[in-house]
Amino acid sequence: MEHPDNNPRNDELGALFAEYKSVVRDPEPSANFMPQLWRRIEARQNTLFRVKRISQMFVAAAAAICILFATMLAVPNRAEVSSSYVDVLAQAYPTENLASHGILLDEADGK
Amino acid sequence: MLVEFDQIQKAQSGDGVAFNQVVVAYRKRILGTIARLIGRPEDVEDVAQEVFLRLYYSLDQLRTPEVFEPWLYRLTVNASYDYLRKQRRRNEARMSDLSEQQVMMADAAAGGRISNEEHRQKQVKDLVESLLDSVSEQDRILLTLKEVEGLSLKELEKIYGVNENALKVRLFRARQRVLNAFEANQKARTAKPAEPKS
Repeated sequence: MEHPDNNPRNDELGALFAEYKSVVRDPEPSANFMPQLWRRIEARQNTLFRVKRISQMFVAAAAAICILFATMLAVPNRAEVSSSYVDVLAQAYPTENLASHGILLDEADGK
Repeated sequence: MLVEFDQIQKAQSGDGVAFNQVVVAYRKRILGTIARLIGRPEDVEDVAQEVFLRLYYSLDQLRTPEVFEPWLYRLTVNASYDYLRKQRRRNEARMSDLSEQQVMMADAAAGGRISNEEHRQKQVKDLVESLLDSVSEQDRILLTLKEVEGLSLKELEKIYGVNENALKVRLFRARQRVLNAFEANQKARTAKPAEPKS
């Protein structure tokens, strides 16, 4: 690749860029510049405020749901199991049904 | 610096009057830079307001007032880049999409009201803008800041936050592309056959 410094067009391009700056001068700001800027700042502020309020409401709602679930988990279940494991098994498989499963109880064992 | 450090500090702490003074001090310079970066006079104020809007909401992130100017330039570069990217996406070349100035120039030329000097200035403007269109938005901005705005490599280093060598490489490549486009343009001009006399 040829180095731009070796290119005869390089100075011409430099001059063209310099001329471009003098052609496109710094424009004068319009009388409306500052009022419009402040309007935009205030509009953005209002939007930010609204977003903040919505997010605060969302966080509050999420916190309330969390507390509700935590309370539901913390309160003990009223239908507590009062019988033992063996009692539950005996209830589920009454003696008369055990024979159909091939389990025969000794007379001595009784129940 | 166009303003005192304490004015920037006051603006940082939410003083609206100090912020106003900072904007008034810098707006003309920023408007000029944006005008040369984007090349569309009718949108310059809009982009400049976006720069100052971003400044207002990010002023508290500025750690030291000493780096205020490069920081303001960075905001300018970012806003101009966003604008150019949106413009390129549109990629339309209808009459309705021409800049107001271009339309006025076209009207004036049609009416024979344009002077030779104005015509030459328009040619320079159009030529530079078409050359800058031959590179990416990032390279266009970097090249304009260096070649047109006359910023030094040290200043560019502060704006971009990259080392001087990386900038030199990017500038070299961008300039090379523009130079190639310039040569092609000059060749096309010289090769253009003369219009037949009526």
